[in-house]
Amino acid sequence: MALEIKKTFDKENDRWVIKPNGEIDIYTSPEFKETLLDLIEESETDIVINGENLDYIDSTGLGVLISGLKKLKEKERNIIIINIKKNINKLLDITGLNKVFIVKECK
Amino acid sequence: MNDNNNKDHIKLSLPNKPEFVSVARLTASSIASRVGFNIEDIEDIKVAIGEACTNAIQHSSLNENDSYEIEFILDIDKLIINIRDKGNGKCKKDIKTPNVEELKESGLGLFIIKTLMDEVECISCEDKGTEIRMVKRIEVGV
Repeated sequence: MALEIKKTFDKENDRWVIKPNGEIDIYTSPEFKETLLDLIEESETDIVINGENLDYIDSTGLGVLISGLKKLKEKERNIIIINIKKNINKLLDITGLNKVFIVKECK
Repeated sequence: MNDNNNKDHIKLSLPNKPEFVSVARLTASSIASRVGFNIEDIEDIKVAIGEACTNAIQHSSLNENDSYEIEFILDIDKLIINIRDKGNGKCKKDIKTPNVEELKESGLGLFIIKTLMDEVECISCEDKGTEIRMVKRIEVGV
């Protein structure tokens, strides 16, 4: 399985939600990068990454999140990561990225 | 299952193409499961090999027709994995802990491998390529 990315606008909280479905690795991270950076370019809101259906992310995917966060910080906005699976939370923990992104509601 | 003097070897050669890294991950999961690792360790091995393959592709000669080799050596109490590329042989000797204050988009891969595996060695030979050797041991009594 590769990667499918859904994006929806959460009107109630005024923010975009990206829901990656599958795996973000060296093969699929360019697609993830394009989606994320395009959204950041055209919006002025926080961006939520809903990791409910994200099975795997590697360092290239984490790199995309870092470059997205850098761009969002210029607009004083944030990336909020929610519902991530245990294995991905472990990666955020060992790399210290859990202190960089806002990580909520881990499974 | 395994005789100490007669370790099982499995070799895999993959093209320098991102779309096949998942093949290495799936193969590693399956081998790690065969060796008898628990689910968390299998996940660690899968992530580590994914990072090592990504490293091999990113540091390779950028020729998609080239390939890199993965060797699994199955031991009673551990799994040894060697990943050899034909890249520029520029692999950092010291693996640094990422600096949270000034994060970069790359450079996390080797650190992740080092954290997840019990032993990691990165041997680089200028213009000949890089070999990452990593070992995961089965914890006894868990």
